[in-house]
Amino acid sequence: MSDILIILLGTTILYIFAASRIEAYVKALALQGTILFLLIVVDIKDISWINFAFLILETLIIKGIIIPYFLLSVIRKNEIGREVEPYISQFYSVLIASLIFMFGFVAAFWSAKTNAGIKPLYFGVSIILIIASLFLIINRKRIITHILCYMILENGIFLLSLSVANEMPILVNVGVLLDLFVGIYLFVIFFNKIQEMYDGNHIDTLTELKD
Amino acid sequence: MITLVLFVPIILGIFSLIIKKSYFNRISLFGSVVLYILVAIAVWSNFEWYILPDWLMVYFQFDNIGLYFFSVMTIVFASVSVYSLFYFEAHLLTAKQESIYIAEILFFIVAMTGVILSTHLALLWVFIEATTLTSALLIYFEKKKSSLEATWKYVYICSVGIALAFVGIILLSIGSRNINSLFFNDLYKNAKEINPFWLKISFAFIFVGFGTKIGIAPIHAWLPDAHSEAPSPVSALLSGALLNSALLGLLRIHEIFIKANSEVFSNSLFLLTGFLSLVVTSVFMLRLKNYKRMLAYSSIENMGILFIGISLGNLGFFAVMIHLFAHSLSKSSLFLTSGNILHLNKSKKIEDVKGLLKRDPRTGWLWIVSMLAIIGLPPFPIFLSKFLIIRAFWLSGTGWLIIPFFLLLIIITFGMSSAVFKMSFGEPLNGESENIKLNLAAYSPQIVLLLLLLVVGIDMPQQVLTLINNAASFFH
Repeated sequence: MSDILIILLGTTILYIFAASRIEAYVKALALQGTILFLLIVVDIKDISWINFAFLILETLIIKGIIIPYFLLSVIRKNEIGREVEPYISQFYSVLIASLIFMFGFVAAFWSAKTNAGIKPLYFGVSIILIIASLFLIINRKRIITHILCYMILENGIFLLSLSVANEMPILVNVGVLLDLFVGIYLFVIFFNKIQEMYDGNHIDTLTELKD
Repeated sequence: MITLVLFVPIILGIFSLIIKKSYFNRISLFGSVVLYILVAIAVWSNFEWYILPDWLMVYFQFDNIGLYFFSVMTIVFASVSVYSLFYFEAHLLTAKQESIYIAEILFFIVAMTGVILSTHLALLWVFIEATTLTSALLIYFEKKKSSLEATWKYVYICSVGIALAFVGIILLSIGSRNINSLFFNDLYKNAKEINPFWLKISFAFIFVGFGTKIGIAPIHAWLPDAHSEAPSPVSALLSGALLNSALLGLLRIHEIFIKANSEVFSNSLFLLTGFLSLVVTSVFMLRLKNYKRMLAYSSIENMGILFIGISLGNLGFFAVMIHLFAHSLSKSSLFLTSGNILHLNKSKKIEDVKGLLKRDPRTGWLWIVSMLAIIGLPPFPIFLSKFLIIRAFWLSGTGWLIIPFFLLLIIITFGMSSAVFKMSFGEPLNGESENIKLNLAAYSPQIVLLLLLLVVGIDMPQQVLTLINNAASFFH
């Protein structure tokens, strides 16, 4: 069951690479949050109930509902154009995505052999998510897509932490979640300000400061 | 005591935000300053007073190196607070704006204190990310178009960098599976049992993440923008305290390598990026047009020197501790003085400032003397630390590296001093009044900082020497 969910998580990344509308990104994000929630329900055992409740809050409520809703309302309010506007054309992007997937699967096979106590499929897909999000960050012109790709990066890191059995102290979990939440909140505040002050929301407009 | 430094400023900051009265703002700012100074003195003199719950004690602790970083931060914090009084007056801030500024400063200070005191690797990460978030609004405090751009770059670049550092932390927990704990003490005790492959790969990620916050080349892109666009007291805090606390995070990881006897790997990374920072600074220093950016690049340079010192080990660590203290104080003094210059000339361009010594002799002299302190003219302690680093090069058998080190420093010194002298001497531009005298708060913090540097440089008090020795002995 968990394998199917992990594969589904991987396909959301392919969907994001192929999609050309910004709203599709947000929907994919909400889907990722929900899948992570299901993964925890299906796969995580032997943790304290408080940590479990916390993980549910983090995945389903925060990653699955609140943040996507928040971002969607920002996008609709600012009437941002629909296109994601990549630097590299869609065709080559998908080509690169398949290369990233290949690398992720190689990492998964390799980690299965190392006997390091990690779940191979989790490990491979989380690496795919992390590398893909970094690639998307450099390949998109719009500032809003940078925020969305940061969320994908965070999801990848979350999955990576699930691939390791070690449990973090609850204090740390709370801190990580708080940072993530405040971070997104600040991103959106500054995004709105940039929208107001600069005409447009392309990263190319931010070129006043240089040497 | 730890409870006090972590919670009191937050509570005072929240009350400032609620009450919004000028007198209360000052009470909360200076109350926190006095508290920090008292706690630093109390811990120095081994006075212990625990009031916090036991479970919190596990996560926060004053160790020797933490105490040293805390003390340096407290000095910078105190001087920035005094200077802020001038900043409020010069910018005609309302009580509401003041309260926002002070609350943000206090939250920022608590976040940095958290970084310094954390005993758990992931908790340290949480606080480093918190420093980014709490300082972002401070950089945007003047609400200009350019400061918005700087803030965006700062928040985004640092958040992505810090996210990568978290990847490193997870990879480290894979390698240390048999230890099953990320408390530094457990990691140090069992350093030899950590799988070397995972340790190295995790260090690469953590190095990139924390290195972004430290502002080391080639991941320094946010630093000149943020330092130049923030209000001057905030720039001083960023350069004098934030960079250090992120550096402490990296040092604590480096210690794992030393304990595992595989420091060759981390040392080579430190050495390489340290020299790269010097090269980047020397390339830009000669063509800079903005004096606050010049100071920011000088921070990159000094972080590079610290990295080089770390890579050299033993004597290098001692030099690093002195250099860190001296850089924080002299750079804070420079940034605060740059606030005076900005107030007098309303321009950050070097070419717009002429005849500073005639226009405002006090600011002019502070600008020159602080510059002499940062380039390491004796008797300022940076001379001592650079000298010790050169000696450490010699002792470690890499004496030939002294030549590029020295050449790069000369280029940087030339670039910086020529800009400072160009601004200080000559006649003021047409129509500018001479012999202005600003508020006392605009000069006194820098004078105190420079005096402290002179005392340490001429005849280091025994207590300071013990403190530095204790901090340097962390790496054994």
